[in-house]
Amino acid sequence: MKRTVWGLSAQCSLGRLGAWRICRTTIAAVLVLFAATILTAPLVAQAQTSTQDARLRSDTHYAPYQVFDRADFVQSTSLAPPPANADWKPVDLPDSWRKNQRPRDNYGWYRLRFKHHGGDHTGSDSGQRALYISRITNNVELFLNGSSFAVSGRLGPHPEESWNLAQFHFVPTSLIREGDNELLIRLHPDQYARAGIAQVYLGDSAALRPIYNRRYFIQTTAPQLITGVLVVMAVFSLTIWIRRRNETMFLLFGLMCTVAVVRLFHLYLRDTPDWLAALAVPAMCWLSVLQTCFVLHYGNRSLPVLERWLYIFAATISAVLLAAAINNWYLAATSAVYVVLAVLTPVLTVVIIYQLSRNLSRGNLLMILATLLTSGFGIHDFVNYQEQLGFDRLYLIPLGLPLLLLAVAALLIRRFVDTLRDYETLNSALADRIGDRERDLADSFARERELDQKRAMADERQRLMRDMHDGLGSHLMSTLALMKRGHLTQPEMESVLADCIDELKLTIDSLEPVERDLLVVLGNLRYRLEPRLMNAGIALEWAVVDLPPLDYLDPENVRSVLRIVQEAFTNTLKHANASRITLSTGIDRSANRIWVRVTDDGRSFDQATVRAGRGLSNMQSRAARMRGSVEVLPVRGGGTCVNLYLPIQQPG
Amino acid sequence: MSRVLIVEDDVAFRDRFGAILAKDPAFDVIASVGTGADGLAMLDLHKPDILLVDLGLPDLSGIEVIRHASRTLPNCECMVVTVFGDEEHVLASIEAGASGYLLKDASEESFLSSIRELIAGGSPISPIIARRLLKRFQPDPTPAKSAPAVTESDVSLSDREREILLLASKGYNYPEMGKLMGISPHTVTSHVKKIYRKLAVHSRGEAVFEAHRMGLIRSM
Repeated sequence: MKRTVWGLSAQCSLGRLGAWRICRTTIAAVLVLFAATILTAPLVAQAQTSTQDARLRSDTHYAPYQVFDRADFVQSTSLAPPPANADWKPVDLPDSWRKNQRPRDNYGWYRLRFKHHGGDHTGSDSGQRALYISRITNNVELFLNGSSFAVSGRLGPHPEESWNLAQFHFVPTSLIREGDNELLIRLHPDQYARAGIAQVYLGDSAALRPIYNRRYFIQTTAPQLITGVLVVMAVFSLTIWIRRRNETMFLLFGLMCTVAVVRLFHLYLRDTPDWLAALAVPAMCWLSVLQTCFVLHYGNRSLPVLERWLYIFAATISAVLLAAAINNWYLAATSAVYVVLAVLTPVLTVVIIYQLSRNLSRGNLLMILATLLTSGFGIHDFVNYQEQLGFDRLYLIPLGLPLLLLAVAALLIRRFVDTLRDYETLNSALADRIGDRERDLADSFARERELDQKRAMADERQRLMRDMHDGLGSHLMSTLALMKRGHLTQPEMESVLADCIDELKLTIDSLEPVERDLLVVLGNLRYRLEPRLMNAGIALEWAVVDLPPLDYLDPENVRSVLRIVQEAFTNTLKHANASRITLSTGIDRSANRIWVRVTDDGRSFDQATVRAGRGLSNMQSRAARMRGSVEVLPVRGGGTCVNLYLPIQQPG
Repeated sequence: MSRVLIVEDDVAFRDRFGAILAKDPAFDVIASVGTGADGLAMLDLHKPDILLVDLGLPDLSGIEVIRHASRTLPNCECMVVTVFGDEEHVLASIEAGASGYLLKDASEESFLSSIRELIAGGSPISPIIARRLLKRFQPDPTPAKSAPAVTESDVSLSDREREILLLASKGYNYPEMGKLMGISPHTVTSHVKKIYRKLAVHSRGEAVFEAHRMGLIRSM
């Protein structure tokens, strides 16, 4: 049954009908109450078991101890035992002074009568008698047959406030009489603390000792241990919060642990200082408020307005209680606060269940369970405080606290681990995404590069085709045509073919990588042409200076430069009858250009011829394509000068 | 008298080379063959002083023939006969051990004078090749990747050699370089030849280094 509900809640959804949600919440609540009963039953049962055992045994002849659930009671101002003829009234044990509305300005005397028979002891009896009381106002003096044999607490005008201590006293054998005996207990109540007495156990010390030990552990040692755990958790949580101020949950949890510690002091401190006692009830109040806020925060259902009012409420209550402590109406104020808390707790529990059931995750369910458990404990303790459950009834909140807080701690740890895991997942996802993106980028780069290469190849191919078509191709075609008509002599033919080969060489040279260095291009042309110039008896003077790199010097532009300069040389070779050619370079920074000058010392050209010639217009159109220009000038005293101007940087 | 081996698959050119060389009594053509295999056999058999080899042979690359010659006959001058004298072919030949190249369409005179120059210890160099060599011999900026010690001292360029390559890349010819540097043109040509040798060693070193890196050679 339980598994089914968990299974269903695991597949929780926000889209379900509200009715189903309420129904589910109710089932969960019932289960939780059931679980709470199961959890608390052993604790309560354990405390009561001994009583039943003893009752059973007291009926038999061999009982190792007897339990007094009735006593005679009288109040007196005298420190001496009251006389037998005083106003003794029978009372039931446990006896609560508040429940029976006894005044606290005098002492209370409890008289218990029992018979002793020396021969009654069984073989297992230790022979030593002892007295055990599970809970009693701590300031007591014990008398047996009129003689005082034990004192506990402080028997002066300022008694201890302790009321939660189990008592165990050896009964001196010498005081025990054969037959009738009379045990008197004088009780000094404190003005505010609980006053009363539980059932009294009298018998074999060996049999009573373990019962006392168990009770002492639950009532005193356990709250001390729990306090230790709470202190550690408070320090841990608050330290985390100090480092990470936005983790409000750790702050709330740390404060919860802190106020719980304050709340637990009075359970094991025998003589609680007034100020600490005054803090115990406000602590209860804060615990309730902080727990509500924490649980809402945990479920991501924080309600700022409600939370603010709760804080104001807790602060007001604290102030009122402190004022009450100073002005001596503390008891009344405390009772009132407990009533308010008893009303408020179920309301807050309903709010929490309503809010958290909107998303029934496993963590939220655990929170709801814990809330129900603690409010159940709270109601139990409230009823207990109203003295409706017997003076020796255990308080459950102190014992239930570690259960709640450990559950909370487990959830916080789980959340912490989840956060870490999320972080790691995020990291690896991020790394994956970066990796993917890098691969994409590399791919697109590769594609682009391939595309660029293809485009460059296509461009180059187109240029070469155009070149072949216009240059070499047409040259060979016209030569073939001439040959077919028999118009070509062998020297002419040789010259035409040599031209073709020159053309090819020029194209090949233009494809060599020159890295934008025009001087290399010119040098290579010289290297090609020099043998022919030497054969023609022409000396070539080389007067170059270094030139800046020309960014636009791609193969096509190299070819253009080569053609222009080669044309200049060819003209000189064919027409000028020169003996010397000078090639010089220079930079004209002011005009942002460089120049290449080819000068010969031959016959000056005929302006008209040159201007009309295809050679010059070709040179000029090629230069214009590079945003440059060509001029042909006569040299004084004979000769021609061809100037090629090229920009250092091509605009745009 | 220099004994010449011609390896050229084009019969017309083979005959032309033979005819040109026959005009100079300084040369004696001991064999003219048309395949690389025959070329290798003739190299081993006749141990010529000069090898003229075409790169585009039918059976194997002229580069192979040059490599064989430079390895087995250190005194043999290897010359490549090429149509265009383009950078790729010329550099590959020099790396294999050639000390010069001839253009197939060169005139008789320049053909003979180039061979004579070569024997006298001079190698031609074009500006483009000079520039390429300058880059090739530049100290490697990443020392870890450079070849072992052999590249450092044996095949790095001297300042003078570097200057010659720089001037050559700007289009100056040997006499002009000599004048600019205050040395004879002859010295310039022999420097160029030395550079060519270094290039051959350099590329061999690189080959060895590469092989070493790829684990082909266990130790040197």
